Amino acid sequence: MIAIAAVASVALATIGLGAWGVRLARTTSDLFVASRAVTPWWNAAAISGEYLSAASFLGIAGLHMRIGAAALWLPLGFTAGYLALLLFVAAPLRRYGSYTIPDFAEARLASPRVRTLAAVVVLTIGAMYLVPQLKGAGLTLGEITGAPYWLGILIVGAIVAGNVGLGGMRGITYVQAFQYWVKTFAIALPACLLLIHLGGLPERAALFGRELPSAGPSGLVVELDDAQRVQFPRATSYTLDGRPQRAAAGEERVLPAGRLQLPPGAAVPVADGTTPKPGVEWAEPVSPGGDASPVFVYSLLLATFLGTMGLPHILVRFYTNPDGPAARRTTVRVLGLLGLFYLFPAVYGLLGRVLVPELYVTGETDVVVLRLPEVAWPGLPGELLGALVAAGAFAAFMSTASGLLVSVSGTLSFDLWGRSDRSAVRRRRAFRVAALAGMVVPALLALGARRLDISLLVGWAFAVAASTFCPLLLLGIWWSRLTTAGAATGMVAGGLTASGCILTGLLIGDGNGEVMEALLAQPAAVSVPLAFATMIGVSLRGRRRSDWRAQMLALHGPEGLGLEELGLGRRVT
Amino acid sequence: MSARPPRDELAETTAVGEIYLRRLVRAQLGLSLTALLSFGGVFAGLPLALWLAPGVDDVQILGVPLTLVVLCVAVFPVLIGVGRLYERRATALDEAFRDLVGGDAADDEDA
Repeated sequence: MIAIAAVASVALATIGLGAWGVRLARTTSDLFVASRAVTPWWNAAAISGEYLSAASFLGIAGLHMRIGAAALWLPLGFTAGYLALLLFVAAPLRRYGSYTIPDFAEARLASPRVRTLAAVVVLTIGAMYLVPQLKGAGLTLGEITGAPYWLGILIVGAIVAGNVGLGGMRGITYVQAFQYWVKTFAIALPACLLLIHLGGLPERAALFGRELPSAGPSGLVVELDDAQRVQFPRATSYTLDGRPQRAAAGEERVLPAGRLQLPPGAAVPVADGTTPKPGVEWAEPVSPGGDASPVFVYSLLLATFLGTMGLPHILVRFYTNPDGPAARRTTVRVLGLLGLFYLFPAVYGLLGRVLVPELYVTGETDVVVLRLPEVAWPGLPGELLGALVAAGAFAAFMSTASGLLVSVSGTLSFDLWGRSDRSAVRRRRAFRVAALAGMVVPALLALGARRLDISLLVGWAFAVAASTFCPLLLLGIWWSRLTTAGAATGMVAGGLTASGCILTGLLIGDGNGEVMEALLAQPAAVSVPLAFATMIGVSLRGRRRSDWRAQMLALHGPEGLGLEELGLGRRVT
Repeated sequence: MSARPPRDELAETTAVGEIYLRRLVRAQLGLSLTALLSFGGVFAGLPLALWLAPGVDDVQILGVPLTLVVLCVAVFPVLIGVGRLYERRATALDEAFRDLVGGDAADDEDA
């Protein structure tokens, strides 16, 4: 009940802040870039708030619990992505003054076709990233209220579409900044209080020693809603709906729906797709084979490091900085804010392994953040902390989904809807229709994607972004010889390779050798170099633009040279 | 004409202006790559180091394995430090360039 109230208040606060923003959203320019007058701290909190999604709030802890410390490369890569953005993209792109990546592509290469191609990529990445947010919303609402899966999707989808369509980014900037602090508070406070309450980390043997996750001193009861295929790591007796049974070590069984009871201290059976690991192995960030192999870790780091700059909803926000140096200052602050948040998800992974081992049986480790507080601290304190994390999770879906929807609807209404000069009123109306349309398709996909892994969709989005927009941005900004043909073929080659690998991996399944499996699951290590090589190779065969000096000046010329009045250096004011 | 202010060369995107600009772009890119390599040494070396040095697993700080402390906590201050240093140096490079070619201040002198 408290959890429902907490979630409702986050939703209401979001609507309220959005409505407050509506009154400020006067012009189309306001709607898109909040007039570029937001201070670095507001901007940094907004960028971080938009970035910390379901994958960060629920996914990291869940994956940590399931596969072990190898999951903790994710927060490192997610944060380091902003270092890449700071070093190579933030200031030049802000100086260049484009609204979106398609805008940049067209201006830099003087080609409307490249713009259309970039717009298609924006929509693809946007949809891929919206689906897991909506899926997370459906799961969370189900976890705290028992509501059907589709209801969470409907509620979050409707709030976000309404807010974005009516408020645009002016509202969203403050909403996002607010959401960052909600999320950080909601993940940090329960983590700290639970550690204090439990007197540190319990059951070290299961965490870092020889032990497997096991039933507590009073045994373990798991309610299975559906039949579940599991593997018993050790021989154990158990009862199912009261009937005594025995399983041999390493035996795989399909447990029917019902009430599973394990005796005290028994090693818990794990759901299909999870490998039972003793603590020592579980705590290793890199280990040969499986989901922690060095090839997979490096490919994942590459995808997150280079993919962040290519997420369409992130770059848009950099245009709300007044100039290049402000864009740099903002990005440094983002590194700090993200670092602060990412201190905490691992706490839930560690505690979850010991305190909620039933999630290994059901395979639903994604809900560990939501489930943990009430189990670890029975009674009112646990209930209150549980309500807090539920509110934080809702803030995560709403903020990321809002940011994505701003990009998706901007791209739909500006780039694909027809770009002939229209009145401001008609442009605004197009943006609003696009906000609605941009939400309907991912919502339908999310309804169908109930069985798809959240981390799969997120990893895919990063891999595609790193293989398309990353080379476009890096070469477009730092290499004057990039041509239209080069950029287009590079983006197509990178995007198709990345998607092709993942689809192939899904179709042919496991058992193809360690390196092959790792690259099919996370293809960035192959597709990113390929995209760069294609862009450079094809560009070298063509001629660079005749006005390349002006282009480079617009990207790299510092502010205050007085070049603006000459019509150089700043394309859009 | 030989004493034209650098700003005009830039503004008219002449070959001389290009030399000024190219120097700035190279300096900025060099700085970015230096920052990338200095952080990349840590970032890219970490998986390899943790993989090749199994003894590290046994070291614990307050009962938590060192590898976990490094991965969850220690990397973030390094990240922020590199970012902050880079930001200062990059802004300094921009200012040096402005001084070199003479921005608004040079305008005033001309007038």
